[in-house]
Parts: sequence; structure tokens; C-alpha cells
Amino acid sequence: MSLQVSREHLLKQLGYKEPPQPNLLGIVDQMLGLLDDLVEPRLAFREIQDEKDLPPFFTGSALKYAGAATLGQKLENKVTDLFDNGKPAEAYILDTAGSIAITKAGDILWEEIRQDAAAKGYKKGLRRTPGCRGIDLEMQNWIFEKLGDRDLGIHLTSSYMMFPRKSLSFLARFGGKLKGTFSCKGCLQYSNCTLRG
Amino acid sequence: MIKEIYDAVMEGKVDEASNRVQQALNAKVEANDILNKGLIAAMDIVGEKFGEGELFIPQVLWSAKAMQAGMDLLKPRLSSTDRTAKGTVVIGTAKGDIHDIGKNLVAIMLEGSGFKVADLGVDVAPERFIEKALEVKADVIAMSALLTTTMPSMGEVLNLIKAKKLPFKVIVGGAPVDQAFCQEIGADAYGMDAADGLRKVKGLLGR
Repeated sequence: MSLQVSREHLLKQLGYKEPPQPNLLGIVDQMLGLLDDLVEPRLAFREIQDEKDLPPFFTGSALKYAGAATLGQKLENKVTDLFDNGKPAEAYILDTAGSIAITKAGDILWEEIRQDAAAKGYKKGLRRTPGCRGIDLEMQNWIFEKLGDRDLGIHLTSSYMMFPRKSLSFLARFGGKLKGTFSCKGCLQYSNCTLRG
Repeated sequence: MIKEIYDAVMEGKVDEASNRVQQALNAKVEANDILNKGLIAAMDIVGEKFGEGELFIPQVLWSAKAMQAGMDLLKPRLSSTDRTAKGTVVIGTAKGDIHDIGKNLVAIMLEGSGFKVADLGVDVAPERFIEKALEVKADVIAMSALLTTTMPSMGEVLNLIKAKKLPFKVIVGGAPVDQAFCQEIGADAYGMDAADGLRKVKGLLGR
């Protein structure tokens, strides 16, 4: 699985629109080099069969999935280590690279689910993350129960946060009425966001 | 000589800042001048430029590190009055929240600007904020949360402060936090990002 993060993408996410000074570029390249050895991506999904008390997000859908992905513990440890050893800039750059990588892992997971759905005759789908747009964060428990036999190494805290922190989870649905395509416009950070193009 | 120290911090050159501070000390430049006109003056501008979008977080962090390197040399030469911090801030993420990158950035920027920081880390219980603030005689409690589900515990800290009539100012921040939430729980300030957080803490303490 390729989670390659480009220098350009990382610089953009760090906020740079113009190339920064050479020493910063050197550190960026160094952290990108480290990232390759630190990520241990794992991802898994499961098709959800009809059962009682399904999350409302699935209402009316023909095909349902729960999925999750993580970059593993090594990256987490290295970021903490850099912070603790007086290298906060390096830690921040590596953490940001990790954020890009986990987003890519999420896209790969989504693509795998889409292929599975396509093989079953469904092309259009929708994914939603717990804590977002009508899916309570408590739904994390439900997702990880469904993925319980997959060895992802993701631990849920009592407040439903995932550890390692570079992890993600979502519900996906295909068929039925797919309303509410995603828009960033309601977000408080919309005007300052570095994630948009 | 102070100008070179200022420039080294502005440019985030850690070794350069350290060497220039040592040279200035050897040349009998007042430690207080090195601190205020060199190190802190530069960090103030770095914070401003960050707030204006001219500098980005990695550069701010290097500048803070350069400032810290200079401070390490200065500390033994500063009198106890000179050494008095701009204020003391207890900082941590809200109970249940384990995302600390933003909190770490704020802590580094506060330290870089001359504040004393007691960092409680992540997943901090409301009582622990109060306990630590009393222990270090804090001026400000700074809290962050990444998710709406962990935000309410920040309100509990405010409730404890009110119930015990404690003098601490409170600043809140984090992705889901906004000015409306800040007012709702009765916090004194909301920091939109690390630079804004620093600016607001300075404002709260009249620095």
C-alpha cells in the first residue's frame, strides 16, 4: 500500500504557498524519509448485514459497511519522542505528514469498499465519520465491535477517541437515497483551511 | 550585538542565537537587555508575523527554540527580579481529549514569549487543572479540545473556579471551540490559533 506523501503536498498543508528556505526544505525531506519507515498501515472493513438497531445513517440503504484504518504506533512514538527531545518543529512536520498519510489510507480504504460494492452492483456510495453530521461519536464503539476480529491495533479511549491518533473510522452506505454530499462551507476554519485546493 | 541576537531568533538559528548570546555576555552586555531587546522582542515579532500569515508554524517553533537556547545561557545571569516571568500558565487538553499538537504549539509559543508554563499534558481532569494552578500560583489556565464531546469539561473547570472564587483567568481553544462557546461557559478568552492564543494571554494579563 503506497501512502507516499509528496514534499509539495506537505508544504502546502504546513501553510507554505511559496518554497521556504533551504534548511526547512531539508527538514521536510528528512521527515518524509522517516515517515516511510514509521508508518505501519492497517485497514479493514466489513459489510454489515441487516440487524436490529442499525445506525440511522443506514436507513434505506442496500449495502452497508463499517471500516477503519490506522498508521500504527511507531509514528505516534516518534512524534512524541521528537517533541520530548526539543525538536518541536520536526515533530510538527512529521505529525502533519502523518495526517496526510492517514487521509490517503482512508481514501484507499474507501476505494476498496467501493470496489466491493461495485462487484455487488452498487456504484454510488456515501461515507461518514462518527462525530460528523448526525453520527454520534459513540458510534465508534459499534464500528469497532463490528471490526472486532480484525487486528487493527486501534484502541478506543473512554471518550471514543482512537489511539494511535493517526487512525480513522467510518460508516459507508450504497443504494437508496444518497443525500447530503459533503461540503466544507459550514466549517469555522473554512476561510483559513490549508486542506482545500 | 543585540541586533544579531534578535536576527538569530527571527531566523530560527539555534546555534547562532546561543553563540551570539554568549558573545554578548562575554562583552558584558546587560543580561536584561539581551533578554528584552533581543530574545523577547524577536519572539514578539515572530508571533505577530505568524498571526499575519507571514510565518508558519515550523519557523515559529525554531525561533522559540533559538530563544530558549539563548535563555538557557542567560538564566544564571539574570537577577531574580529580571527572571520574573510574564506570567504563569497551566495548560492541558480537556478531560477525554488526547490530541495535543495544538496545545504543544501554544505551550512552546508561550514559553518563547517569556511565560512560565506548567504543561499537564492530555486528558486532564477539571480538578487537576485547579490543583496545579493553585500549586504554581498560575495566572491563566489554558485548555484545548479537538472534539465537541470533550468540550463540556472545560465548562466544569470554570464552574470550579467560580465555586471556589479563584482568581485564574481562563482561555480556551481547539478546532470545535469558538467565541460563542467561550462566552457560554464564561471563559475569559478564546484563542483561534496558537498566535491568537498567545496574543489573548498577553491581553488577559495586560502584558
